[in-house]
Amino acid sequence: MGALQNLEIRRSSATLRGGGTGLRKLPVVSKYIDTSICIGCKACEIACQEWNDLPLSKTEQTGTYQTQPTMSANYWNLIQFREVDAPEHGLSWLLRKDQCMHCDEPGCLEACPAPGAIVQYVNGIVDVDPERCIGCGLCETGCPFDVPRYAVGTNKMAKCTLCVDRVSVGLEPACIKACPTGCLQFGDKASLLQVAEHRVQQLKEGGFTQASVYDPKGVGGTGVITILKYGDKPEWYGLPRDPKVPTTVSVWKRIIHPLGFVAMAAAIFGAIGHFMAFGPKKPKDTSRETGGEV
Amino acid sequence: MSELRIPGATPVAGPTAIQVARDREDVVIGDEIVRHRLSSRVVHWVVAVFFFGALLTGMPIWSPVFGWMATLFGGLSVCRWLHAWLGVAFAAAVVVMFFIWVRDMVFDKNDRKFNVIEYLRFSDREDPNVGKYNAGQKFFFWMVAGTGLLILLTGIVLWWPSSFSQPLRSISILVHDLCFIGFFAAIVGHIYLGTAAEPGTFHSMTRGTVTRPWAKLHHPRWYRDVTGDRS
Repeated sequence: MGALQNLEIRRSSATLRGGGTGLRKLPVVSKYIDTSICIGCKACEIACQEWNDLPLSKTEQTGTYQTQPTMSANYWNLIQFREVDAPEHGLSWLLRKDQCMHCDEPGCLEACPAPGAIVQYVNGIVDVDPERCIGCGLCETGCPFDVPRYAVGTNKMAKCTLCVDRVSVGLEPACIKACPTGCLQFGDKASLLQVAEHRVQQLKEGGFTQASVYDPKGVGGTGVITILKYGDKPEWYGLPRDPKVPTTVSVWKRIIHPLGFVAMAAAIFGAIGHFMAFGPKKPKDTSRETGGEV
Repeated sequence: MSELRIPGATPVAGPTAIQVARDREDVVIGDEIVRHRLSSRVVHWVVAVFFFGALLTGMPIWSPVFGWMATLFGGLSVCRWLHAWLGVAFAAAVVVMFFIWVRDMVFDKNDRKFNVIEYLRFSDREDPNVGKYNAGQKFFFWMVAGTGLLILLTGIVLWWPSSFSQPLRSISILVHDLCFIGFFAAIVGHIYLGTAAEPGTFHSMTRGTVTRPWAKLHHPRWYRDVTGDRS
């Protein structure tokens, strides 16, 4: 989507210099998802499909209240359904809205080799520009949430854009607009975190003593904050306990890359230096030694 | 066998070195010794072309610093597609090259004496027992074979990332990267030693022949074996 959104870019994939001007400041935005009052109506799924002009996908019956087994390149927003037997509260249906988490330190962006294919706007939204995406799939390795999906045929990566086209003109994302229970809210992250704290307090008073806000620090926090009744068990919701950009991706980009440049330069300058110091190794001119006789 | 008929020159009968070098090697033709027969040379250059193809399409994916290389092939998306196929072609060519040279590349007792530092000093004291390939060349051969295999296997993982697990993909990125850096450094050394550093060597990979003094200097035992000259 890139420059079309009229939003300043904070970070841009595979860009060494010039990946953001640092001129303008905008509040960091966030989705707020209160899983405790989600009724699983799927209005957000349909709104996402409609707004983003994604072809409607046939639902797949997997024996649960989930429309698809997993997200896809044409299905960016999925209400995941899980049934757990919580020791204190008995059988519980857990509904969790799964989509791109819009990490503050996006692993996909770090792993991406295509300049500008993945960008992070100043308001924290992580977006993908399919024109610049080369379909290599490295973002999948960088993402701790298993979000990137690839279009069949072109292999272009697709995911939730946080409706950046709506947000940039002052509207809320389509999923938020469609939610009938107030489970989904949108706004600047700082205020939403206060709302979330309040809600967690309510849940704790209501007996869910482990309730918490899921805003993992390992990726610098996320642009999607999720309230979990069973905050001590994020894996019950299909969320990683301590997500972070894979160490290998950081090691690769921050250590091996610089060392690689040093090694390449060393090889080239080593060869030049060696030539100057030791010169070419060639047969002695025997004709001179033997007085002209070859 | 054409006869050279140059006015004023002594007519030379028999095949020229270049003709012999089409299908035979390790033979002496006048002042020249055939070092690489035509098939070995062709395979070497096929490997080289695919190597540089894969290198130049891979480097812009490796770092935006080399983004300009992508322009040579029509953009980064083309590179992402072409790189994989060139990599497969490179690996296939390396397999052929491997079987052409593997018998000559087995390390022998004499190779233990090889000291790379001493060798790179380019002193005149060459080990008289160096055969057709010295230990450094043999090492390079096995390095290409081993690294080539690793870079192929990790490349397959990176080609279809969705078919492999996250840990395997992560490791493959690192290994693929390290193989590339190793290859880059090695190829710089290989080209340098094969051209500027040791004049006469490049000719052995183009026309197939080297001169007697070259052979005596760089590969004394091979020189003795081929020419029978024990002086």
